[in-house]
Amino acid sequence: MAAAFRPKKLDIMGNLTALMVRDHTKRQVFAQHEPERQALRYIIRNETLPQRVRAQAQLQLSQMHAYTRSTQIRNRCVETGKARAVYRNFRLTKMQFRMQAYKGELPGVKKASW
Amino acid sequence: MLTSNRGERLGRIHENARLPRSVQAIYLRPLRRKAEYGLPVCDLQLRSYSVRNLEFFADFAVRTAYYLKLPLSGPVPLPRIVERWTFPRSHFVHKKTQENFERVTLRRLLQVKDGNLQAVQAWLAFLRKHAFYGVGMKANIWEHESFDVAKSMDKALPKIEESLGTQFARFGQRKDTPNASIFDTLDSERFSQSKGPLTKPRQA
Repeated sequence: MAAAFRPKKLDIMGNLTALMVRDHTKRQVFAQHEPERQALRYIIRNETLPQRVRAQAQLQLSQMHAYTRSTQIRNRCVETGKARAVYRNFRLTKMQFRMQAYKGELPGVKKASW
Repeated sequence: MLTSNRGERLGRIHENARLPRSVQAIYLRPLRRKAEYGLPVCDLQLRSYSVRNLEFFADFAVRTAYYLKLPLSGPVPLPRIVERWTFPRSHFVHKKTQENFERVTLRRLLQVKDGNLQAVQAWLAFLRKHAFYGVGMKANIWEHESFDVAKSMDKALPKIEESLGTQFARFGQRKDTPNASIFDTLDSERFSQSKGPLTKPRQA
């Protein structure tokens, strides 16, 4: 079911793993379906609308595919695609952070000693 | 002192001529205007990871404010923001040997006092135009009104309404939309079919 979201031809390059492709797909699907999600959320929370409309919107929202949820998206390293120990500020894993900090590619980051 | 030798005359140029005042001023402490009332108009915060760039640009900002006749106080050094990260140098087993990294953000605050709003905006625009590498800026501007604010706001209203007309036109229900219920929208293909990917062909 979920594979149907994935384009037949990959639109990303590099050394990819299945999980990296999956995350990429999830991001795309979420972006595609966000307007619908927000519209349904708005209907559900709007207290001026009749109860039946809101109930139907609730049902439809819960029936949307899991991939259209933002919570499915996982932060990944922009260099290596690793999913663990990714630092939000730089979007890099700990090892990539160290390598780039040595090269001086991260502005202002220095070795600390105190 | 009169010599016909061109080389000699060029050599003596420092003794006979002085620099223009504005150039000379660069070697001296920056000139400042005095604030008459001390009413804050604009707070400019400069941030950088490098003291050198920051100090240079703060000095530049102070000098430019003088020529725009803006009374200015500062640069006030604000507390530094220190972010630190610690990582193991190697694999999980070697947790005992780790490495620290840090990023120190330095800040300076410049406050303009009772300056003209147009002049302040010109000053900020000038600083943006000549922005220095590695120095970030953010400004808070305060506008002060007379006691007749309500009157002036009433006066300005028709013009504002006119400019916002295109925005307001998008609110509410349009007159040319067919009298459709919200259920039609919910039952529409866009909402009812979006629960999953297209596994079977849509019906025409």
